[in-house]
Amino acid sequence: MTTLPTPRPGREGSEVTPLITASLRGRRRRPSGEPPPLPRHINHTIRWYLLLVGVAGGLWAGMSVPALLGIITRADLAVLRAVITVRAAWLTHLMLGVNALASPWTTHLVAWGTIAVLVAFRRFRHLAAYLVIVLATVLLISAMALEIGRMRPVGMQILGPWQGYAQPSRPVATLALALVGILYTLVPAGRWRNRGKWAAAAILAAFCAARLYLAVDHPTDQVTALIVGWPLAVVAFWLTVPNDVFPVSYRGGRKAHLDIGGRRGAAIVMALDNQLGLAVTGVDNQLGLAVTGVEPFGLEASAGSTPLRIQVRGPDGGKTVLFGKLYALNHLRSDRWYKLARTVVYGRLEDEKPFSTVRRLVEYEDHLLRLMRDAGLPTPRPYGFVEITPEREYLIVMEFFEGGQEIRNAQVDDRVIDDALRVVRRMWDAGVAHRDIKPSNILVRDGNVLLIDVAFAAVRPTPWRQAVDLANMMLTLALASTPEHVYERALSVFAADDVAEAFAACRSITIPSQLRSLIRADGRDLTGRFRQLAPTRRPIPVQLWDIGRVKVTAGLIAALVVAVALFSVYLQVAGLL
Amino acid sequence: MTPRPEARRHDRRAMHRPLSALLATVMVAAAATLTGCAALGDTVPGCGDPLRLAIIAQSVPGASYLPCIRGLPQGWNTFGFDPSQDGTSFLLNSDRSPGQPVTVRLTATCTTSGASPSPPRAPGVLTYTRLDSISPRFAGRLYDVFPGGCVSYSFDFTTGSQIALMEQFEEAVGLYPRQQLRLVLKQKLGVELNS
Repeated sequence: MTTLPTPRPGREGSEVTPLITASLRGRRRRPSGEPPPLPRHINHTIRWYLLLVGVAGGLWAGMSVPALLGIITRADLAVLRAVITVRAAWLTHLMLGVNALASPWTTHLVAWGTIAVLVAFRRFRHLAAYLVIVLATVLLISAMALEIGRMRPVGMQILGPWQGYAQPSRPVATLALALVGILYTLVPAGRWRNRGKWAAAAILAAFCAARLYLAVDHPTDQVTALIVGWPLAVVAFWLTVPNDVFPVSYRGGRKAHLDIGGRRGAAIVMALDNQLGLAVTGVDNQLGLAVTGVEPFGLEASAGSTPLRIQVRGPDGGKTVLFGKLYALNHLRSDRWYKLARTVVYGRLEDEKPFSTVRRLVEYEDHLLRLMRDAGLPTPRPYGFVEITPEREYLIVMEFFEGGQEIRNAQVDDRVIDDALRVVRRMWDAGVAHRDIKPSNILVRDGNVLLIDVAFAAVRPTPWRQAVDLANMMLTLALASTPEHVYERALSVFAADDVAEAFAACRSITIPSQLRSLIRADGRDLTGRFRQLAPTRRPIPVQLWDIGRVKVTAGLIAALVVAVALFSVYLQVAGLL
Repeated sequence: MTPRPEARRHDRRAMHRPLSALLATVMVAAAATLTGCAALGDTVPGCGDPLRLAIIAQSVPGASYLPCIRGLPQGWNTFGFDPSQDGTSFLLNSDRSPGQPVTVRLTATCTTSGASPSPPRAPGVLTYTRLDSISPRFAGRLYDVFPGGCVSYSFDFTTGSQIALMEQFEEAVGLYPRQQLRLVLKQKLGVELNS
């Protein structure tokens, strides 16, 4: 296996061409109207569920016409009369027991249990979806019950307890919703969820049978309730927390990572082939074989994307490894919340404007990669990005630093220290800041320092931000050396005042969390020692208050207060109290 | 080069999509909550809508009369309609007696001890009134007793406004004959209501 030759900084023009010739077909433009590699997919189940929702709508429309309501009611009563022919004392006792098992208390317990588990596992998006779907379902049931105003079965003795109008059956709908809520927010898709569906179906079947036996509901009351509580709820979960973007998983790791198997894996291979002309090795997607040329890589160090290791055939036919980062809507949202939190916690020190779309997020990183390469910085060579699903998922492709070691695992000698400091110097000269200098983003290969993950970089940053880059680089180097030695080497690249400014700007919140925890584990007061070594300089204030920060903070507090008030109303309306 | 108009539209849509989606979600949730609360508020069947009265008839199978809303005077509203196998209850609220709604309850039986007879409100109905307090609150119960059931009205008004309020709520709540409901259900739906 070989790696692509790393160009000498600043000496090459376009970096993309060498691999484009790897595929005989080269790049292929997707014609208008042709679906993207991973189109938004409506599977058969969802289509069936939508059809069932239409059936429920049809039944409700029919029930608003007295003549049709009469026909439906007579048909319902005929079924019930057949059911009650099997009534017997022992069976009635059993059915009352089954009916009581799914009481409102049980449903509340299940609903609150689901909420508690979602909070415990910090699945806040699933929680929000669950709460909204519960509220919407309860309101829909109430609205339809009032609209139709249907009586309970007549002409026979009702043996069980009941409350409110009959259509749709509220207990059946809420029990179905509670079970579907568990399945689609807590149970991983696949074998366990499928087993869960059978179990839920069995519970619902027993409950519905008991209520028919007791003549509490008409059959059509249960049909519409089941449609609202199951298919409609599943469609709502599919829309709000699609499993391919927000999978339920208990395997540990970060929730930001997407599953790259199945349709997405094939779509990635196809996109790389068609859009960048990269022939992924070990894959024959036309024969439907497993994708072995694209695999997750370094997941533990990445929260903002799904990092991938991609094997491609190089121009000479040999294997080459590339690095890819898969971005999706959930990453865009994470970026947005992260930037909002930064604005509130320590003000708008720099550009914290969130990206409006996934495409713009990827475009920015691609642009930064090219800009840094043009500036002669040792960052990965960019190969562009591909569209997986328009406006939802993109994969950015870049050079994989084969053989590069994270700096904390590498031999850090004077050559490495000097090279690392020169990288910062070069960034200053080029007018860029990396903004995330920490050990996991600094690799060493053959004694040369390589910089990765430029997604947070900024062009023409504030002087404060540039100074922070220097401080974080010196702290990283000091972890493998001593502050005195790093300071001494720094003076050959920077003025003493530059170093003083760097540590005057340095605070706990300006140090990336990985670096901060390594410094804490190291035990030495590295920051303090650098400040002693450098000329004295007053600290640079990092807490900046401007009208924007005040507005955002006030807005957030107000939103929280409103949310608490709305939540208490919600609990009443959604029937969770 | 000027981008094509559809490309520009697409860009604009893409830019506004997250904010629009968030805004739409909040508005839909708020609207759903508010309309849901509002819809749940005014729910008691009117006397002119017999198909909806059937559920009240089922709550007390032998009751020969069923309470219903004949028409709400200005400033009155209903909420808390709750039919069940134990009877039916709902609340009538006047803006002249905020926080003290009249509770209307249909049950199979009721105890009228201590209550005085009043002019009957419908043929075959015995009406009683029991006052628990006259001043500073005008509070007590009104009973409509008929074969198979009883409607009780629990009121608690500020003294001074009680005469108008009593007249208004008595006018608002009507009694629908069960026999008439049986005929309507037979005619419209082809089903027999339990006697």
